[in-house]
Amino acid sequence: MAKLSRRAFLTLTGAGALGAGLQSLDAKPRLLRALTPEEQVAAQEREDTWRVTICQQCQAGCGILVRVVDGRAVKIDGNPLHPISSGKICPKAQAGLQVLYDPDRIKGPMRRVGARGEGRWEQVSWEQAIDEVVGKLGELRSEGQSHSVVFLAGRVLGQMQGLLKRFCDAYGTPNYVTHNSLSASATEIAHWLTQGQRQFYGYDWENTSYLLSFGVSVVEAWRPTVRNAAAYGFMRRGRPGDRFRMVQVEPRFSITAIKADEWVPIRPGTDAALALGIAYVLITEQLYDDDFLSEHAFGFEDWTDDDGTLHMGFRTLVLRDYPPNQVEAITGVPAETIVRLAREFASSAPAVAVGDRGISMWSNGVYNQMAVDALNALVGSIDTPGGVLTDRAAPFFPWPQLAPDTVAEEGRAQARADFAGTRQYPLADEVYQQLPKSIIDDVPYPVNALFLYYTNPLFSTPQVRDVYQAFEKLPFIVSFSPFLDDSSSYADLILPDHTYLERLHDVSPPPGLGYPVVGLGQPVVAPLYDTMHTGDVLLQIAHRLGETVSQSFPWASFAEVVQYRVGGLWRSETGDITTTEYEFFWEEFSRRGVWVDASYRFGDWDRVMATPSGRFEFYSQTLRDELTRLSDGELDGLLNELRIEVRGDEVYLPHYEPAGQMGDDQEFPFFLNTYKLMAHAEGRGANLPHLQEMLGLHVHRQWESWLEINPGVARYLGIAEGDWVWVESPIGERLKVRAALYPGARPDVLCIPFELGHRAYGRWAKDRGVNPNWLIANQTTPLTGSWEPFATRVKIYKA
Amino acid sequence: MARWAMVIDLDKCIGCQSCTAACRAENNVPFAGPEQSELGRAAFWNEVLFEIRGEYPHVEARIIPRPCFHCENPPCVKVCPVGATYQREDGLVLQRYERCIGCRYCTVACPYGVRYFQWFEAEWPEGMDRYQNPDVPLRPKGIVDKCTFCVHRLDEGLPIPACNQACPTGARYFGDLDDPTSEVSELARGPRAMQLLEHLGTDPHCFYLEEGA
Repeated sequence: MAKLSRRAFLTLTGAGALGAGLQSLDAKPRLLRALTPEEQVAAQEREDTWRVTICQQCQAGCGILVRVVDGRAVKIDGNPLHPISSGKICPKAQAGLQVLYDPDRIKGPMRRVGARGEGRWEQVSWEQAIDEVVGKLGELRSEGQSHSVVFLAGRVLGQMQGLLKRFCDAYGTPNYVTHNSLSASATEIAHWLTQGQRQFYGYDWENTSYLLSFGVSVVEAWRPTVRNAAAYGFMRRGRPGDRFRMVQVEPRFSITAIKADEWVPIRPGTDAALALGIAYVLITEQLYDDDFLSEHAFGFEDWTDDDGTLHMGFRTLVLRDYPPNQVEAITGVPAETIVRLAREFASSAPAVAVGDRGISMWSNGVYNQMAVDALNALVGSIDTPGGVLTDRAAPFFPWPQLAPDTVAEEGRAQARADFAGTRQYPLADEVYQQLPKSIIDDVPYPVNALFLYYTNPLFSTPQVRDVYQAFEKLPFIVSFSPFLDDSSSYADLILPDHTYLERLHDVSPPPGLGYPVVGLGQPVVAPLYDTMHTGDVLLQIAHRLGETVSQSFPWASFAEVVQYRVGGLWRSETGDITTTEYEFFWEEFSRRGVWVDASYRFGDWDRVMATPSGRFEFYSQTLRDELTRLSDGELDGLLNELRIEVRGDEVYLPHYEPAGQMGDDQEFPFFLNTYKLMAHAEGRGANLPHLQEMLGLHVHRQWESWLEINPGVARYLGIAEGDWVWVESPIGERLKVRAALYPGARPDVLCIPFELGHRAYGRWAKDRGVNPNWLIANQTTPLTGSWEPFATRVKIYKA
Repeated sequence: MARWAMVIDLDKCIGCQSCTAACRAENNVPFAGPEQSELGRAAFWNEVLFEIRGEYPHVEARIIPRPCFHCENPPCVKVCPVGATYQREDGLVLQRYERCIGCRYCTVACPYGVRYFQWFEAEWPEGMDRYQNPDVPLRPKGIVDKCTFCVHRLDEGLPIPACNQACPTGARYFGDLDDPTSEVSELARGPRAMQLLEHLGTDPHCFYLEEGA
């Protein structure tokens, strides 16, 4: 591992005088008018520079430049060298100044005084705070209870992911739980079942001619947002003669639907049927890519396995069950539209079909996503120009081998508190929303400590009331949040992190480009308050726990961890920074704020199709193998437990089965859709006045939540624009919210956006708006462990 | 002498409001807060307009980002009783804040609603004044302000207003209308180009490119 020069090291840790050590990038050549001598002196004395870092308002990790004047951050713009942002940013990034200067930020470590939630705190020193954590963790370890510690990690980025996981492994708990099961885990799982890739895909938008989007908010909240926005602009006007065609299949007339060439208002939860209806036409009219299927697909035709059993293939199933008129009855999409879309899709190569959270987080969601993936296979737009790209991980230097002691091994061998990967949730890597139940029931064991990093369970978990109940039970809660949010205000101890403009942090964006990009976030200003990088805190805790836990972390600071791992990028001799010494690599990396390996080699099928057959699997052998293994001969019983309706080969093929809903549709006549806005910073933006003031463009609402409702339905119910309305769900919860009559709303769908409804989190967020999670049942799809945010039906009445 | 103009391509605009956010950050436009916002007093030097028409499912919507248009024939300049609003040779319509008496005659005269009266003392709670841009003056309560095409950047040799800089789809262009080779003059003469409320004779220095082929 290369040692860095002291200067470079100081640069990393932000020590040293502002402007002297930190890397700056003067991106704007300026023609200055002639200065008077006095002005010249003043100008020289005033520090005015642009510093390079990474935005962390969402996980896209756009490269940004921050203008710093006399130690104050005054403007944020995009870093032209970063391929996700390419010099551009979204409004969330602009509001980053308000994250840094939020007047209600926590100014130093705090310990609770009085009852939980009372809101009384005492300032403690870092020494005291870390002492207390070390004491508690050490105690649990010595009592053989290390497994009863849960680390909940939400928007965790870069090396913090690996560091947290490593801490859990070295300490001895299996309970490193991320929030993917609340987000879009079923999409990743579907990709894994069909293509062996447990990831989100990149797309070669620059060459795409046709985009068929199933519920994806392409130009609003599909990460990486800025990349997709820029691509949209390019696809529309960057190729003279080709304005590309975009079709948005979605229950509401979103901004994306507005910008699309056609909006298909599908009945919620029926996307597999539509995709398979389109497949029906592609098959019957011979519009599919024969070559692609014969070379790169498995299970399109019926097939015979090794012991002579005949299995149904995709073609047979689709022709049997999904003729357009039948699909019309299920989806509400006219048969002529289905036929036309299929023909367009097949004749506008390169054509891509996409889906994400909107279609996958349902009880039938993994199949919805598999059906959409299948469309890309049918027209051969996987791993081709203009098509689906499979991401490559950046070549970070591997973590050193872990040598856990017996305590850690025994701890890790215990069952996970969220039952991920067990018979209960076979394909899940995490089931965040299982935890409140586990904690309340003390099953599989009582949880003795909860650590919260970049997550807010008292806001983000469905059936929020239960989470409060779970919190009451927990003996020890520690939060690293820089803000007094819903959850940290219920903690026992707060060890506040820096905000992202004050810390060193690497970020690898989610795929969007199909090739590795690593951004380096660096402090642009000195930390405003007595906060500490959570990575550093974790290392201190580890070192103080001693013995093998300490030995597992041979780094003095988080900066060293990043340097260590990033050494792999240098060592690999790939990407756009190649130097003889790591020291020079690091300097250049800091100067640019990003490392990119912008190469995508098409046709690397071994890498792209990581399935048992080495092909795109219409018939998922992965799924079959997993279920066979778990069922132990009793497949029917397992499928009943998993609430999968179909039987036989259909279980492993994309198919439609009705989505499970909570609430009978007579008493609860509406679907509840909870979508994300461009200004939605993952729920974290509610404390930012700039974002609050421009929140609901399409309904002309700011600073409050709203209920989007079809005007005809509203009239029928006697509800006028702006009227207060109660929204009630079958779990016995109700919320009061103002109606926004929106002609783009389906009559049977009501929408309340996410972002507001915090009970803490600063003066602009507290008690403002409503959080729809209160209404939504904590219902999980057993197969994937994914939450079903759209399964809860609701009713409304005037307040 | 240049004649500055902006072109906004509505086919590329996605209504993300990056322009609005960037403008606010660059120009020290204070947020209004919930109460003043409810009264319609939030100032957006650049505002994204939205209009939806039709009945479900036959609906369509328009998204139009609207800065000040720095009209060739500005009604606001004509009506200002104290000469606070004036037009520069290069086409920019600007405000001398120290002369403004807050009569709001200009605000009424502008057919595009680009002017904002400062109804309240700007709030910069505890330390938020730290992110003020030192290049742009703060405005007191009781005067009218509006988009300046980022004149402070223009006059420093950077002809890219903050809104244009931020736009992720690349929908906004800025340049010299009198330069026949500039992007804006080519686009402004193109078949998709139009101005808002052309019949009023204001001749805005902001052109929109229609959506669609």
